[in-house]
Amino acid sequence: MHLLAISLDHPAKYISWGPISISVPNLIMILVLVGFFVLALSLPFPKHRKR
Amino acid sequence: MRTKERAVDLEKWQGRKRPYDLVKEFVVAMVAVAVLVFACSSIFGSPDERAITLQDWAKNTPSDFVKTTTSELAGGTTSATYGAPYNQASEGQVLGPLKLQKWFGVKVPIEAARDFVVAPLAMSDKPAIQAALVQWKSATAATQSKWATGYADALEKAGEVTSVADSNGSFGPVPTMASGLLDIAQVGALDGMLTTQASPLPTDFTKPLLFLADGTYLEDLAVEQHLGGDQWGMMNETGSYPGQSWMWLYSFWYQIEPLKSSENADAQVWAIMGLLTLGLLFLPKIPILNQLPRRIPIQRLIWRQYYREENL
Repeated sequence: MHLLAISLDHPAKYISWGPISISVPNLIMILVLVGFFVLALSLPFPKHRKR
Repeated sequence: MRTKERAVDLEKWQGRKRPYDLVKEFVVAMVAVAVLVFACSSIFGSPDERAITLQDWAKNTPSDFVKTTTSELAGGTTSATYGAPYNQASEGQVLGPLKLQKWFGVKVPIEAARDFVVAPLAMSDKPAIQAALVQWKSATAATQSKWATGYADALEKAGEVTSVADSNGSFGPVPTMASGLLDIAQVGALDGMLTTQASPLPTDFTKPLLFLADGTYLEDLAVEQHLGGDQWGMMNETGSYPGQSWMWLYSFWYQIEPLKSSENADAQVWAIMGLLTLGLLFLPKIPILNQLPRRIPIQRLIWRQYYREENL
């Protein structure tokens, strides 16, 4: 649809390395997940007010 | 029954405590995910693949359609030789001595030649097709096989064609039946005939899908979109949409030997993943592996403030 900012209705690009083959959209999702995991490890817990 | 409880389980926690609002966290997480879903669905489009029909197949690759129809009559397709749950033509997937597929029995009985070819042709009102069906049904199984196998070989030899001349009548009624089914499929009638056989409401697409999968048309389209089993297809999606990336480990086994070329890869991969899942479930009971938190103390990184303040 022309109204959409980013159309995903076209063939994906694939990265191949030996037996490994991964689509760029999948790679982006995996990197985002790893990024969230690193953030979860590194960001401090929010401070709680003492009751 | 009295349960034996360890002292450490009965001991009351003497360390620090802190309040934790689970409901608040749940609400925040739900709102954050809802906002993300709304934002992403506004920004990104989704793949818009049209459903593949038997009519598409018959129109785009008529030669493959005719060859597959003939192979159904010869009993040589994947559907005809699949075994359970469709028929008893083979044992199917086995795991060593365990005949897993056969154990579940024939739950969706399908006789490929009858269901995909003969039954739809019987609905035709063309005299030539009706005469061909009478000839087919009155022949012995051996004669039917001889006709269909002979015509399948001739088609294969001729290349991309939809018919081969039968100068000495060695193919019987098979050329008429194959061409007749092609005509029915090209006008779009076969899709309805196969989906409505079992019920007036077309909700069961097992038969058209099996027939379609017996040819090379569907597989070629899938391979083009990187959806083949040996292309990590299980974790891919059509278009440029991210797929099921969490299926990476399940897909991985299909990419390496000996599983890649194994006849029983589905059962073997299922068994490997079952074993790994059990391993994860019983990790605290597995020696050496249950020491991992001591050797790789990620928990100290997450709770670093606590460990620092408590001098642990």
